[in-house]
Amino acid sequence: MMKKHLTVIARDQCIGCLSCMFACSRTWHEALTTSKAALKVRSYTGSEGNFSIRICKACLEPECVAACPTGALSQKENGALQLEAKECVSCKICVESCLIGGLAWDEEFSRPLPCFQCGACVRYCPNQVIAMTREETDNVD
Amino acid sequence: MWTKILEIDLTHKNFRILEEEELFHQAMGGTALATHLLERYADPAGDPLGPDNPVILAIGPFSNILPIATKTTALFKSPHTGELGETHAGGRLAMAIYNAGFGALVIRGASSDPVVLDIDENQVIFRSARALWGQSASATERILRARDWAQPGKKSILRIGPAGERLSTYACATVDTQRHFGRLGLGAVLGSKKLKALVIGGNRYQKITDKKRFKGLYDGIYEAVVSSGVMRKYHDLGTAGNILKLNQNLGLPTRNFNQPWFEGADKISGEVFGDRYLSRQIACAHCQCGCIHLATLREQFHEEHGFKTFQVSYDFELIYALGSNLSIDSPDDILRLLHKVEKEGWDAMSLGVTLAWATEAFLGGLIDTTQTNGIILHFGDADTYLKVLDQMARQTTDFYRDLEKGAAFCAARYGGRDFAITFGGNEGAGYMTGENTFTDWLMGPRHSHLDGAGYAIDLECLTTDLSLEEQVKKLVAETRFRMLLNSLVICLFARSVYQEEVILEGLNLLWRPCSSADLEIFNQETLQRKYTFKMKCGWQPNLIEVPEKLSRVITSTGKVDPESIKKRAALYWREVGL
Repeated sequence: MMKKHLTVIARDQCIGCLSCMFACSRTWHEALTTSKAALKVRSYTGSEGNFSIRICKACLEPECVAACPTGALSQKENGALQLEAKECVSCKICVESCLIGGLAWDEEFSRPLPCFQCGACVRYCPNQVIAMTREETDNVD
Repeated sequence: MWTKILEIDLTHKNFRILEEEELFHQAMGGTALATHLLERYADPAGDPLGPDNPVILAIGPFSNILPIATKTTALFKSPHTGELGETHAGGRLAMAIYNAGFGALVIRGASSDPVVLDIDENQVIFRSARALWGQSASATERILRARDWAQPGKKSILRIGPAGERLSTYACATVDTQRHFGRLGLGAVLGSKKLKALVIGGNRYQKITDKKRFKGLYDGIYEAVVSSGVMRKYHDLGTAGNILKLNQNLGLPTRNFNQPWFEGADKISGEVFGDRYLSRQIACAHCQCGCIHLATLREQFHEEHGFKTFQVSYDFELIYALGSNLSIDSPDDILRLLHKVEKEGWDAMSLGVTLAWATEAFLGGLIDTTQTNGIILHFGDADTYLKVLDQMARQTTDFYRDLEKGAAFCAARYGGRDFAITFGGNEGAGYMTGENTFTDWLMGPRHSHLDGAGYAIDLECLTTDLSLEEQVKKLVAETRFRMLLNSLVICLFARSVYQEEVILEGLNLLWRPCSSADLEIFNQETLQRKYTFKMKCGWQPNLIEVPEKLSRVITSTGKVDPESIKKRAALYWREVGL
């Protein structure tokens, strides 16, 4: 199935301004912070350096959904995750099961921060680092 | 905006959180708030390197919330000038202070042993920093960044290098990736407190109260930053693009302000740095511009293809201070010097001007090789300047110890006052544009090119006919308006984005209802408060000293007349209205 989903298309162009994280937190939580964002920008050391952007790529068979012991986390037809907060037992297994680190965690409420694939992060990225694409992508840049 | 202040006592290793709603309501944030707190906590007659000198860090009502409100203001009594110390830095510090839930931090007292403050929204942990003492500013960040301490979310790291530990009066304090509280010696004040570093973070946040109105405000600013082109130059070449512009306008200080034109400018221009050395631009938190220019310098250390690389940030002021003003026309050499400066934690501008003074003093016979440990100083010799920096870092002689106290101190001790390019005790920035610049540096609250941008008025005078009175009024008006910008606290690169109507809308949403007239009063009161503090420290507006050399050189606007500057200073003071 070809779904429209977020892709990091130019990691090397990231300037680390965190504008995407602020946008995500504002859009879905009306929160003036980066801590409610469903994606993460991290300073990354090592030979490649720069920043690393961890986004939910709306997997075809999401590991996070499969790992959720209560069924609180599910995926909609368009690839977006959704969380039934009442069913969440804060086990964090979903976050740990996502090998690419694409599912963020809400420290305040101890539950995952699902990505709704809305594109707010794309809208507020000044350097075209993230895009909504229709291609199936196996790798996070 | 938050209305809590975190007060930390290093002497007794304790802290308390003060709720100061009324103060924030009155003083907004940033520089205005910090000035109020300086009045409360500092003794103007006190020793700047004594335990009673407070360090105040303040953010503003737009910090973390709106684009490019990225700066934190630091106020203290300066060990370099003996009066108001004020300096601003970006990075992630403003965001991290916000995330910890504070509008300001006050650091008082002094620790008996080296210490690191580990701060989050609930507590301050005083951690021993004995093992960190002596580490470079760069290594300190690497070490602390890797610690798995309690701060949730993004953290920010403020630290000093060995220069601050040695109490160099122009030691800076470094924030995150090569951002600096550069001027007036905050690094020495922190060093005197044995405070090697501060790590801060948290997860506090506020909710948007009027989503539609907020989105309108935010998107307007965002589009201006990203799409209008007004900030493009800061991302593209950065301020380094000014090297050729100032050179063409006869405004680029060269060889200790001997002349306003550098024959090697083409080799160290922003274009050369951008084309050949720039590896990437990065940004402060919540700045979509990204003006931090990082150059990569590749050096061979072994003949069999043994290479090492450095990443060093550069901008106009750094290239001027360690380039044209020392007659160095090699970007490689400038970057090598900057790399050393970054590790030691000096203010590059004060250091460059002090080295330029030392070179002229050596060439004029005021100092000799017995004082320099055999080193022969001359302009254009980067290898020798690197050796000088090493001698300073190792404090090998009294002379090298004195160099860490700046050009005015050295001139008082060794002579050469007429060519010590200092203004109110602070070394000059990279503008040899004329009397507005020099008046700005002499009379401005922090003796900085960022006080009133006098250089811009000088350059405007090249094409516009302005009377002397009009020029001074313009200078003071800009200085006054910056009280507001620095209270918000936005990056001054975004000053054309933050027009008054944008600011008013933001303040009405995020601070309290206010009008244009309210802001005028606010700015004037803030400016006067600063001068009141300065005068309590002993600064006097009628005791200004123009470096004599500047009356013998050409600037963008022609020759400088010391009497004219004195007239401007008197007019300036009348405009201040105290």
